[in-house]
Amino acid sequence: MLSQAAIRALRQAVGERNCITEPEQLRTYECDGLTSFRLTPPVVVLPGTTAEVVQVVKIAREHGLPLVPRGSGTGLSGGALPVPGCVLVGLARMKRILEIDLPNGWMRVEPGVINLEVSRRLAPEGYYYAPDPSSQSVCSIGGNVAENSGGAHCLKYGFTVNHVLGARVVLADGSVVDLGGPVLDTPGYDVTGALVGSEGTLGIVTEVVLRVLRKPEATRTFFATFPSTDEAGNAVSRIIAAGIVPAAIEMMDRLAIVAIKAATGVDWPDVGAALLMDVDGPLAEVEHTAQQAVRIAREAGAMLVRVPKDEAERQTMWKGRKSAFAAVGRISPNYMVQDGVIPRSVIARVLREIEELGARAGLRIANVFHAGDGNLHPLVLYDARIHGQEELAEKVGGEILRACIRAGGSITGEHGVGADKAPYMGELFSEDDLATMALLRCSFDPEGLMNPGKVFPTPRLCGDRPGKYTPHPLEASGEAGRG
Amino acid sequence: MIPSLISAFEAAEQHEPESVAEAARTMQELARGGRCVAFAGGETELELGGRPARIDAVARTRRLRRILEYQPADMVMVVEAGVTLAEMQAAAREHRQRLALDPPWPDRATIGGIVATGAFGPRRARYGGVRDLIIGVELVRADGAVAHGGGKVVKNVAGFDLPKLACGSLGTLGLIAGATFRLHPLPEASETVVLRGLSAAEVVAAVARLRAAQLEPVAAIALRAPSGYDLAICFEGFGKGVEQQVTKLRQLAPSARAASDEWPRHDLVRVGGPLRIKVAALPTQLPDLDQLLAPLGLRFAWYPTLGLGFAAGAAGEEAPALLADARAELVRRGGSLIVQTAPADFPFEPWGPPPASFPIMQRLKQNFDPDHRLNPGRFVGGL
Repeated sequence: MLSQAAIRALRQAVGERNCITEPEQLRTYECDGLTSFRLTPPVVVLPGTTAEVVQVVKIAREHGLPLVPRGSGTGLSGGALPVPGCVLVGLARMKRILEIDLPNGWMRVEPGVINLEVSRRLAPEGYYYAPDPSSQSVCSIGGNVAENSGGAHCLKYGFTVNHVLGARVVLADGSVVDLGGPVLDTPGYDVTGALVGSEGTLGIVTEVVLRVLRKPEATRTFFATFPSTDEAGNAVSRIIAAGIVPAAIEMMDRLAIVAIKAATGVDWPDVGAALLMDVDGPLAEVEHTAQQAVRIAREAGAMLVRVPKDEAERQTMWKGRKSAFAAVGRISPNYMVQDGVIPRSVIARVLREIEELGARAGLRIANVFHAGDGNLHPLVLYDARIHGQEELAEKVGGEILRACIRAGGSITGEHGVGADKAPYMGELFSEDDLATMALLRCSFDPEGLMNPGKVFPTPRLCGDRPGKYTPHPLEASGEAGRG
Repeated sequence: MIPSLISAFEAAEQHEPESVAEAARTMQELARGGRCVAFAGGETELELGGRPARIDAVARTRRLRRILEYQPADMVMVVEAGVTLAEMQAAAREHRQRLALDPPWPDRATIGGIVATGAFGPRRARYGGVRDLIIGVELVRADGAVAHGGGKVVKNVAGFDLPKLACGSLGTLGLIAGATFRLHPLPEASETVVLRGLSAAEVVAAVARLRAAQLEPVAAIALRAPSGYDLAICFEGFGKGVEQQVTKLRQLAPSARAASDEWPRHDLVRVGGPLRIKVAALPTQLPDLDQLLAPLGLRFAWYPTLGLGFAAGAAGEEAPALLADARAELVRRGGSLIVQTAPADFPFEPWGPPPASFPIMQRLKQNFDPDHRLNPGRFVGGL
């Protein structure tokens, strides 16, 4: 456990003001965006430099204390959830933009820089940073790197991992290592690729090299309504089958639309489902694809197609979509969001399955999601004041994840496994798969000091020789075979 | 010292598993015998990297050649490692789709080899490299255990990214037995235009103008010719979009002409010559790079939006010294120079100094292959 000696050393490392031990202040850090998991950390440090992070790591190591890194705390999987006896390392003070090289398309930033701030900073020059999680006005680049965050526009542009060229990371042994860099193809293993999305379990990132892009010449947006998610899902499939790669294509179901309307005042009609779609690129390409997409949406049963009359209206439409989670808070005292992914071709079927799961449990489920890549966000609505409802909602959430696994998908598309979905990893991956991932983990953090208890369903020790072959759970159940 | 890599491969015990299960059994047997193993797919990049210190056995993937799953509506394909790129493209083309990867030798290069070497071609400018298109991997570890990473959906952050770790690992972490990729639609139209006789600085300026004008080529290649660089720029997409972009480019650069033979000429640079190297630098560093490489007298193709290039030709007596100078300068600026192919006994280390993250790489190798039996000594820093 945390000793007074350790606290004194931490204070000295980061300064009195940046070492928090007051119970009231510590409570700010008891959870991230997944508020159903809480644990008050014994100490929070807010280092301001890489050198301070190194000192913090060395002190923690010396005292055998686990480290939990934290960005803005907007994560939805409990990735920044404190663990007992940990040193919680908040990176919010490290928010300098260090270097911008637009002719070569990259910039170097500290992890506490807010996602949207990057694009704001680049906007006057006509550049931007592509990954745009819905929380982009508050979430940090360091958190994005940890979670490999996505966003609506990753359908065309890819995820954080496709836009991180390198990173400076403090490892559990206190060493500072630069991975990758602005020049592509650093010889050796793709350790940058391994780091992004590792949920703070490999090290603490203190600098990130981001790829930045020239803004596209044109963007066309449309909003289309459908009688139900069946027609909307069909429209998505047909648009993509026509060879169109939309920048984003988002679906909202009836309940999500009701919530968004109540929260933001957008004047959307009450319908069974709606799509919000962006195409971007060179002008003529975009005009052609937008026309085609609208035509296909109409053929697939779109009732109303609305094109924003100007950028302000377009922003309002997107604001509606991006505030959907918060909006659901208006129509329900509590909600739980899942992040499962399914192949696009089975969206309609799995949505019906989800609806039935909700109906059976007597809980409402709103759906607002990235339809283009099959990344569902079912929001299970419940009231924590009613005894047993939170547990019931969790159970329904788990069943939704299992439905995604059965459909050939994944338990998380962009929120991360964290503490939340670690118990389901064994249903998605075999023991050998997990043991192999642990080999990677052990190569960065052999003692397991970095964010323990996240990602993996059970703690794993480094140095064990790999065991014998065991069949994948899907293989064992006859749903999948090997070679 | 191995006289010839090819003969070392041929002299070794040969394994050609027909299934992943058989590959796993083979790897288990080799592990029990403590035997060193190298892997081979289409043998297009067999010489890449250092010569393995020992090869007792070669595991070939050419009988792992099934396309396991392809659901066109999902634009995802699951293949075994021995499927060639051309076979994969043929299957995708039937549904007007493609894997947006275009490395050389598509008829021979296998998917396993492409993943292992991180091979790519000019379209990486738009679509990214193997690491950006792979979404799942099946890896047979040194001990014969079969591990999967990623999955069959494009968007997936569950677990560590084993697919990315496999990319470019050159058979030093395990046998890549299969992979899953996201596909892209085949474009309706494709057009290439070329600007001839540019200086290195003019290539950099031309790319800056393209970007300022918000043109979005899928690929650009600067080929060095005696009269300067020929900059070929390829646009793909719907007909109207391509037409507009070509028109706009011609307004910016009236000397631009429709190109015919730039792509085949570029392929020659990629595949020809006893000495082949790969260079990486920031795109704006081309003028300096040009100066560094000029004395070598190699043919040179540069991807000016990526900052990556390939040079090939005869290896003169001065070559090792000139390469050493060029490498030192590139590394000093954060880049690299890798020798992909060289004549036998060419006195030059293929990889150059290991990167700052090498200690992590050493531990990765140690954890995945504790007895150092997989292509020992072939990779960066002797891994």
